[in-house]
Amino acid sequence: MKILLATLAVSLGLAALLGFLLGFFKKIFHVESDPCEALVREALPGTNCGACGFAGCDALAAAVIRGDAPVDGCTSGGAEVAKKVAEIMGVTSEAVTRVVVLRCQGTLEHCKPKADYIGVKTCKAAKIAVNGTKQCDFGCIGFGDCEVACPFDAIHVAPDGIPHVDYAKCTGCGLCVAACPNLLLELVPRDRTGAIALCSNRDTKKAQVIKDCKIGCIKCLKCERVCPKECIKVINGIPVVDYDVCDSCGECVRACPTKVLALVEDVIRIS
Amino acid sequence: MNELVKIFLSAMLIENIVLMRFLGLCPFIGMSTDIKKSTGMGVAVIFVTVLATAVTWPVYNGLLKPLDLEFLQILVFILVIASLVQLVEFYLKKSAPALYSSMGVYLALITTNCAILAVTFDVIIKGYSFIESLVYAVGVACGFFLSLILLAGIRERLKIAPVPAFLKGMPILFVAAGLLAMAFGGFDGLIK
Repeated sequence: MKILLATLAVSLGLAALLGFLLGFFKKIFHVESDPCEALVREALPGTNCGACGFAGCDALAAAVIRGDAPVDGCTSGGAEVAKKVAEIMGVTSEAVTRVVVLRCQGTLEHCKPKADYIGVKTCKAAKIAVNGTKQCDFGCIGFGDCEVACPFDAIHVAPDGIPHVDYAKCTGCGLCVAACPNLLLELVPRDRTGAIALCSNRDTKKAQVIKDCKIGCIKCLKCERVCPKECIKVINGIPVVDYDVCDSCGECVRACPTKVLALVEDVIRIS
Repeated sequence: MNELVKIFLSAMLIENIVLMRFLGLCPFIGMSTDIKKSTGMGVAVIFVTVLATAVTWPVYNGLLKPLDLEFLQILVFILVIASLVQLVEFYLKKSAPALYSSMGVYLALITTNCAILAVTFDVIIKGYSFIESLVYAVGVACGFFLSLILLAGIRERLKIAPVPAFLKGMPILFVAAGLLAMAFGGFDGLIK
């Protein structure tokens, strides 16, 4: 009986003491925080991908409240999250979601390897060691550094040797863009229309490009000539489009002899 | 003094909590992905282990033992350690926000980790005095820190090693951890 009472007394006493202490300490060491911060945090995706440049969703929420980050600071959440956050903060947001496009079509079939590569199997290592494993020094190396970087499981290297983006999953966070040593991935707004060059070979020697890759840009300038709006120019070796003018007529896409040009809306369509 | 050094070394190396006694394996595998992460975890473990021992030893010897309530120790220890870590968290959040943001996540994670709980039971089973208990706690936590850092180093090298496909990922990690444990077996008999 005595043991029973002692057990009760000790456990109740300890629980009460600790409970009281916890409550007390919470009061004295209370940190003032904006109630909006919790709301903003709730609106964010919570994947802690870090694409915004802050340590995680908590840190971004705090920065938004402090005014250090814009309401559309969450790159991966896109327009939807930006709208929610803007609502909480009492402002309007015009953010558009972006998606990533691989500006290379150098599959193994079109662009042969230089030689057998037996080094460390990452794009970065292959770039440093032999300037890429394929004939084309500018093209996709294909070891999937982008696939490793993607927190959303949206980009995968297929057996054909280049990564393919799952546009239903891509949030435009841009982590793969930073991972690619050849700078082949580019973020484009999801609602963009117009032509895009799916080649990054900046070699100005036509014969060399033909030797390197079957579907590389050979700088024939046909796209410049056929464009009715004169909005496509070959700059630094690849066609660049002025999207303010381009009306997505598709003349250049049809004219391109090596099938380098495509319409963005076709590339980023969710299949 | 000599006795304390002996306790420290044997707790850290010979009876390494992870590699020789197989406690705290969850954070050992989970938090060893890179050296930076495991350093944060290791420091937090040292802190919490010492704190837990410093509190549970007096609670046991001053409260539970005189009242013949030794059987309550699991319950009471968990309660005391958990709320104490919570208190320290409040304190850090207020007075040292930088330290809190670097250690805060790990603190909550390890409140009643089995390795930490084991230390508090060990010092009682071994009948250590208060000072000896603290030294033992530091030793065990340093051992945990050491093995965590070692495994993290191995994992960073494994990332670029040509591992056979069937061993990739977890299997090679377990093999590495096993080899590490065998290596620590070599410390047996270091202290007579």
